[in-house]
Amino acid sequence: MKAHPNEHSATPAPIKGIPVWLSGAAFMLFVGTLHGHASPEPIEFNRDIRPILSKHCTACHGGVKAAGGISFIYRDKALAKGKSGEVAIVPGNPGESELIKRISSTDEDEVMPKPEHGARLSESEIIKLKTWITQGANWSEHWAFVPPKQHPLPQVKDASWGKVPLDAWILAKIESENLAPSPNAPPQEWLRRVSLDLVGIPPTLEEWESFSAEYQNNPRSAKEHVVDRLLSSLRFGERWASMWLDLARYADTFGYEKDPHRDIWPWRDWVIRALNADMPFDQFTIKQLAGDLLPSPTGDDLLATAFHRNTQNNTEGGTDDEEFRVAAALDRVNTTWTAWQATTFGCTQCHSHPYDPFPHKDYYRFLSFFNNTEDNDLNDDFPRVAFPDQPSTRDTAVRLWKERATLRNKINDSGLTLEKRLSQSWTRWTPTEASASGGALAVSDSGKIDASGTLPVGVKYTLSMPAREGITALRLEISPDSQDPKKWPERGSVLSELKLTLVQPDGKKEAVPLREVIADYLAGPFDPQETLNSDKGGFGGYPVLTGPRWCVIVLDAPIKTIEGAKLELLMSQGAVYNGGQGTPIRHFVWSTSTDAQWLEWVQSETHKTELAQLKGLDSELQKLGGVKVPILAERSSGGLRANRMFIRGNRLTPGDDVEPGIPEVSRPPQKQDGLSRLDMAQWLVSEQNTLTARVLANRLWAECFGRGLVETLEDFGTSGASPSHPELLDHLALRLRNEHHWSIKSFLREVALSATYGQSHKTSKQLLESDPRNALFARGPRIRLTAEMVRDQSLAISGLLSSKMFGAPVYPPQPEGVWNSTYSNAKWTTSEGEDRYRRGVYTYVKRTSGYPGYLTFDAPTRDACSARRIPTNTPLQALVTLNDPAFVEMAEHLAKRMLSAGGKIEEQIRFGCRLFTLTTPSKSMVDTLLKLHAKALAENPNDAVKPLLLVANTLLNMDSALSR
Amino acid sequence: MNARNFHSQASLQHLTRRHFLSDCASGLGALWLASSSGHVWGAGSPLKRDPAHPFQPTNGHFVGRAKRVIYIHLAGSPSQLDLFDYKPDLARLDGQDCPTSLLAGKQFAFIQGVPKMLGPQYSFKQYGQSGHWFSDRLPNLATVADDLTFIKSMVTDQFNHGPAQLVMHTGSQNPGNPSAGAWATYGLGSENQNLPGFIVLVSGGKNPDAGKSVWGSGFLPSVYQGVQCRSKGDPVLFLSNPEGITSNERRLTLDALAELNQQTVQEAGDPETLTRIAQYEMAFRMQANATDAFDLKQETQTTHELYRSTPGGESFANNCLLARRLAERGVRYIQLFDYGWDSHGASKSEALNEGFKGKCESVDRPLAALITDLKQRGLLEDTLVVWGGEFGRTPMQENRSGAKMAFIGRDHNPGAFTVWMAGGGVKPGISYGATDDLGYQAVEDKVSPHDFHATLLHLLGFDHMRLTYPVAGLNQRLTNVTKGGTHVIKSLLA
Repeated sequence: MKAHPNEHSATPAPIKGIPVWLSGAAFMLFVGTLHGHASPEPIEFNRDIRPILSKHCTACHGGVKAAGGISFIYRDKALAKGKSGEVAIVPGNPGESELIKRISSTDEDEVMPKPEHGARLSESEIIKLKTWITQGANWSEHWAFVPPKQHPLPQVKDASWGKVPLDAWILAKIESENLAPSPNAPPQEWLRRVSLDLVGIPPTLEEWESFSAEYQNNPRSAKEHVVDRLLSSLRFGERWASMWLDLARYADTFGYEKDPHRDIWPWRDWVIRALNADMPFDQFTIKQLAGDLLPSPTGDDLLATAFHRNTQNNTEGGTDDEEFRVAAALDRVNTTWTAWQATTFGCTQCHSHPYDPFPHKDYYRFLSFFNNTEDNDLNDDFPRVAFPDQPSTRDTAVRLWKERATLRNKINDSGLTLEKRLSQSWTRWTPTEASASGGALAVSDSGKIDASGTLPVGVKYTLSMPAREGITALRLEISPDSQDPKKWPERGSVLSELKLTLVQPDGKKEAVPLREVIADYLAGPFDPQETLNSDKGGFGGYPVLTGPRWCVIVLDAPIKTIEGAKLELLMSQGAVYNGGQGTPIRHFVWSTSTDAQWLEWVQSETHKTELAQLKGLDSELQKLGGVKVPILAERSSGGLRANRMFIRGNRLTPGDDVEPGIPEVSRPPQKQDGLSRLDMAQWLVSEQNTLTARVLANRLWAECFGRGLVETLEDFGTSGASPSHPELLDHLALRLRNEHHWSIKSFLREVALSATYGQSHKTSKQLLESDPRNALFARGPRIRLTAEMVRDQSLAISGLLSSKMFGAPVYPPQPEGVWNSTYSNAKWTTSEGEDRYRRGVYTYVKRTSGYPGYLTFDAPTRDACSARRIPTNTPLQALVTLNDPAFVEMAEHLAKRMLSAGGKIEEQIRFGCRLFTLTTPSKSMVDTLLKLHAKALAENPNDAVKPLLLVANTLLNMDSALSR
Repeated sequence: MNARNFHSQASLQHLTRRHFLSDCASGLGALWLASSSGHVWGAGSPLKRDPAHPFQPTNGHFVGRAKRVIYIHLAGSPSQLDLFDYKPDLARLDGQDCPTSLLAGKQFAFIQGVPKMLGPQYSFKQYGQSGHWFSDRLPNLATVADDLTFIKSMVTDQFNHGPAQLVMHTGSQNPGNPSAGAWATYGLGSENQNLPGFIVLVSGGKNPDAGKSVWGSGFLPSVYQGVQCRSKGDPVLFLSNPEGITSNERRLTLDALAELNQQTVQEAGDPETLTRIAQYEMAFRMQANATDAFDLKQETQTTHELYRSTPGGESFANNCLLARRLAERGVRYIQLFDYGWDSHGASKSEALNEGFKGKCESVDRPLAALITDLKQRGLLEDTLVVWGGEFGRTPMQENRSGAKMAFIGRDHNPGAFTVWMAGGGVKPGISYGATDDLGYQAVEDKVSPHDFHATLLHLLGFDHMRLTYPVAGLNQRLTNVTKGGTHVIKSLLA
């Protein structure tokens, strides 16, 4: 591993005249004398100092603002001279340190922070800073940028409590607070919790019976059997997919104004399958971020890359595709950093990070990994690949798709080789007449043609020149408006259709057949060949022109001409993007060649065979069919976009060119040059990455316990929350990566079987006072069900839940008129049959109009990466589960289920209760519901179902039903 | 009648359980924010709210002149040049080629090449003491001219509907940021706990272009998102008891539910359970209160004539009347969207010489009625009414695809648009800022959406720099941290 520059600065700098080893001792004496204390505990920068600097100083002296030339983000800058000439921190010498002088000052003009910026530092904070400087002003990186290390198991008083290593750290902390863990949860409480956590639906009575029977004799093995059963259930992937879909901002629509439908659900199914198959997280990462760059990607490898095609696509009329291509690329950077690194890297789009050591430039180095994919906000979501339903056929489809792309490039490349050889064969072709159907054309002496004025969509240029004998090929060169590459890309320039006509002296016209187009490079949605057969696609820069372009058009046969004949060239420019914006060519020249080799090339057997193969591949692909899904694909090397910084984050003010790269503080791979997206993905899951394993372990922990060891799942930086159990977090991260080999299931198994997870959630008065938010984990978790679980549980308990997996999203009942979308006739047509009762993860996600019940229960809109759902508790939630017709239907089925249990009403109610409580319900519970039933029956004496429906409706709304 | 009367008038009170409030003492629930330090508002520290009482009324940084906001957004953006911003010079240039100097460096949604200039399409007159200009499309609104405060010099940096609407409501063109209504309810809570604090009403048959993000809660807790209510069907989604379940039966189930949940409190000791009991009771009261609030039949014939409202339908007029009823009941932020103002001239319905007339007629009476009605009820004083679109329209006639079009229309213009306000602490009868002689660019006292938001928050009692929420390491605010130079428009304040 590469030495990390900041590691060196972690050792104290020698103090003038005093050996390093002495300075610490000298200081202790100093403090001891000053404050009359016994020798103080050594200061730990991350624990004691960084929080003070972050709280009081870095808003002005940070990465964005370095007021007075002082920044407390990097040690070298903190130790440098400020603009005033004073040195803020002189290691070993608080008296000489301007910092201490200013924070201790009583002069309003001198004191820091300035009174209008914040309160004075407390005495203890000032002492800490002094002590720290005296001890040598040791610096260490923020914990999250330091690799996790293996810590010895902490000592605990009650050695018998723990079941797995993680329990030791939890118990040690509980004991250090003079508290004790809670007793074991009753088996029914544990079974409900683990079932909802692992598969998202509550246990059935049969599952309870079999578990409780075994639990009597051997609790440990009973629990193990349950956990293993749940982990191998197909329902597992459906439950955990929701977590990933939030991060991936998965939706079934494009987003933005028009928000049209997008078929990307095959990727959602890929996630469910990958989770069910327990795909190790390193593979899961690499496939999604760079599956397309793997040496020979399978169908699923390519499908996985749709992860980053969940970005929004703007199809609103008049929008600039380049603006939203860039927006999508920025979103990929921010999502990658939030999902894998829990780092607010997005801050550095506009400036260096205010608190964490990421320079502004690093953002654009990282953006380069996503800057050269083929997608560019086109309305058809290009590029897409058709994925047939069967995994085996998917492999064939992707293999054929890749073969086709390779072959197409090969054909063009052979044309390019010829062009290189014949580069001297061109003669500039200056038209004698030039006219346009809109705007105006001006022809210069050099033959350059410039269009001006209004150039409507489909504008046609007609050029003519004296015919020349033996022309075999034409060459078109398109130039941008500006000569300055920093002004590129600019409005597109596409030749959609070209027609060549020979005009005899008598005015007779004869079409000249055109055979083939060779392009400088292949990129974008159109094949240049389209120029010869329709006025839609064609050759050029689309939707934007990224720089000069050229192509060669080879004729079918040499031109034969007679004296006085003319050639007429009709250029048509019908290509449009967003809302009918045209892409007319503005500046161009034509040349001609009479070399016979062009014709030899198009007529050669090799060439013909290759074209036939291409056709064959197309028809094979056509036959395979399937759903077209947007994927990541890299642009061909000829058409790479420039990677540049954006000054203050604005793409319209481009700065210096940059190379792809990974921030220094994040311990980049040794390989420095030519880093690819695949290298980046591999770095994320490499051993040197300090965050990925911690972030994932923390996220999985939070899903089970309701809060992370780092509460801010989205931010592990200095502005995020500190870990409540830092050593445990390291332990879990290393265990996940090194011992479970990134297996999410193995990790969850260990958590689910831990003593910590097995505690009762009953909250004592003492715990409520000393630890209201259960940050110590001294009791079992009690969390509200997620939006999807609220639905799935009700479906499961009422007996309606469909076990059908995968496929296009479904439309469970939703009130009329919720979808009133602009410019769209999209209709919510309620699904029929079992699709009406599918699990929540399959419900249609429309970004601009989410499923109301889910939004009410805190599901995100999926506009952007969402790392944490904060559970709220509102009256609108009550209205959903009480009155939403979907829930009423479930209550009705539950009532019927209770009714069919037979026996007296009391038994029916008892059965209904048990579906939730598993064990015999308490007398008070049954009494309450019997009373309700009796009153409801009095109002509806002839209705057998309705009183029970009210009971069922009540059961489904219980706090204990909505919690796990 | 004022808002306070409604608070005490808890209908169906006899059915409401009384004990839950005392059981649900505040402070049991967890604070929303991980950090913990003292006071509610402090230097640099955000407001902390208890998820058990997310709408508990709180004060701003100071006492604001406006207690509530009615924000009327005409989605698509009405032409300021044909309603308020009178430009005689533009009339003189009508039909001539647009000077190229006006086109250089400008980006349009649809105009291509050199379009023709388009004069005002309707005749203008001055009204009232204030002398505000109105075209003949809004004769009724003109009668309350002296109550209105115009900003003629609004500018934005977005020229497409979705992003521009987001900027006007969230301060950023990207989805994912809280709307002004979410900020207001997060900052102030609501005066009525039995209705949502932030209510959205939509007319014109479609939701606004940017979708529900324009009333979203972004990174604020989701309870602060606007609740879209409807004047047809259930006013709040799932408000009505299911078919066949009576109010009494609902009460029975809630009683049983409260008993069961009390048992759970005993068993698990989780304060969240207490909160849930309270929220179910609140839902029950909301059923009565929202149904009552949305019952337009309670209004007199005179009122309906004033607004041109008709109970049972979905219309801008009904929404204006509902806005007044909600304002009376202490709802903090009432947001109206009316769809169909995108007068490009590409079709009859969106032509300035066709559909635009009907749209104007549909809002003219209700707008005048709303101002008059709020005023006569003493509500205008502390209710801020805002009217506007997301950008302006061009003084050039649109020539989509570079061709002449069948109908008359104007393209989007981010360079100038008009917004008006009334009540709630703004100086009535004045006009602020000005555009050039063609109404093309704001030239005098330009007002950005951020300045506008700073002013709106000031009227509600907030320093826009201090109403913040920590996100991704940054204290985010409505006035967009990436935009500098934002200020409160002091001249607008009464």
